[in-house]
Amino acid sequence: MCMDSDAKNTGISRRLFLKGSILTPLALALGSAAISAVYLRPAQARGFYLRPPGAIEEARFLAACVKCGKCAQACPYKSIVMAGGEAGVGIGTPHIVPRENPCYLCPDLPCVKACPSGALDKQLTEVEKVRMGTAVIVDREGCLSIRGLRCEVCYRQCPLIDKAITIENRHNIRTGEHTIMEPVIHKDKCVGCGICEKVCVREKPVIAVQQRVTEQKDFYEF
Amino acid sequence: MNFKRWGIARCAVQLLMIALLASPLAGLAIFTGNLAAAELLGLPLADPLAFLQALLGGRVFVLSYLLSALLVVGFYFLLGGRTFCGWVCPVGLVTELADRLRRKLGTGTQTLPLTLNRWSLALVLLVVMATGVPLFELLSPIGIISRAIVFAALLPLLLVAAILLMELLVARRVWCRSLCPLGGFYSLLAAFSPLRIGFVAEQCTHCNDCLKVCPVEEVLQPSLELNHPQVVAGDCTRCMACLDACPAKALKISIGYQPVSRDVTDPLKGGR
Repeated sequence: MCMDSDAKNTGISRRLFLKGSILTPLALALGSAAISAVYLRPAQARGFYLRPPGAIEEARFLAACVKCGKCAQACPYKSIVMAGGEAGVGIGTPHIVPRENPCYLCPDLPCVKACPSGALDKQLTEVEKVRMGTAVIVDREGCLSIRGLRCEVCYRQCPLIDKAITIENRHNIRTGEHTIMEPVIHKDKCVGCGICEKVCVREKPVIAVQQRVTEQKDFYEF
Repeated sequence: MNFKRWGIARCAVQLLMIALLASPLAGLAIFTGNLAAAELLGLPLADPLAFLQALLGGRVFVLSYLLSALLVVGFYFLLGGRTFCGWVCPVGLVTELADRLRRKLGTGTQTLPLTLNRWSLALVLLVVMATGVPLFELLSPIGIISRAIVFAALLPLLLVAAILLMELLVARRVWCRSLCPLGGFYSLLAAFSPLRIGFVAEQCTHCNDCLKVCPVEEVLQPSLELNHPQVVAGDCTRCMACLDACPAKALKISIGYQPVSRDVTDPLKGGR
């Protein structure tokens, strides 16, 4: 009698054990695998997100950022926006959409000061040392200045005028008597704030902030 | 039914947290950030699990960030560990409301084992160590709800809706009870916390009203049956619903560590 009930008890507890200790972690693992298939694509696969000033290297940034939104709350221009679910692994991370609202390079960098976790590096104190990305003329045919018209809006509005963007004059061989005043970007000086992308007069900006390509030194050591 | 003193206090704190999250929208400068990292009246606070993920995945170490995480750990240690779940977490508030609806519908009576949240905590830490991906920060419904309040990022709320649907139809409060890794973290902390639910066996009338309201009744029940002076398990969220429910005042707040008396026969082993 007593043994019978004991055996019964062990049977139930074994079933419970199986259910609790094997099936549920398995279900959890399957669920997380399904979610990670969507989420854990490499960061590069989702295109370039312009991060706030001082952001550390993207792969580490995605983990170091705790998605608290304090940088966005500290931004006086509301330039920093928080990514939604469309950003996948970058969900809830701060970024800047320069065509809508670029970074206006506050001299005291309140976003960097607000970051608690070190995702925005507090060693950055000078705006000229910001390296969020770099401006690139993505459509030379579309650029009014390069076509020989007087525009140069990007040059005039650049916070690092004559450093990050300079105007280089050359003879306009098409008309034979005018000068082409071409805006030239100097990547070593460009901070990537995106003001040029914001102010470009063309409907689709011909100048845009792109990812700063860093040399992968590991691959070049022979 | 008597006046739910603790229930009202708890609901007030939960709503106050939502109000704090939303306060920057009203232009108030008392609180910034969210439950991952925040600043309250100039005091930096940080979610310890978010800190661990940033440290392991991002390989960044900021001393002030560690201190603010330790401050939060110390605070919740003194106040019962999973107090966070019961009193502060906005997901707790939402799933609690959904649970009231579920009780009315009488659906989703299944439960998963409570210890599962330690597994999901381990999974989160393993994934972040192996791949650098902060798994919980990506999926956290706490972050999703906070950002929905502060930045109107509404689309990710679908995940919260999925959790609510699962809780409503399949398993009772499954996220908070068994899946949330942050809950797992605080359960481990709560096991050592000095603030506990105390039990005065002599006053208990065995009406089981406390078990009906307890979100983690499988840790309350053995404590009552074994006449333990305290509920020791870390899974207790210190929601105090049992204190409100007890008509005999057999449950109370108990501070400190009381040894489990060994003279009582263990009814689970077939004595009594």
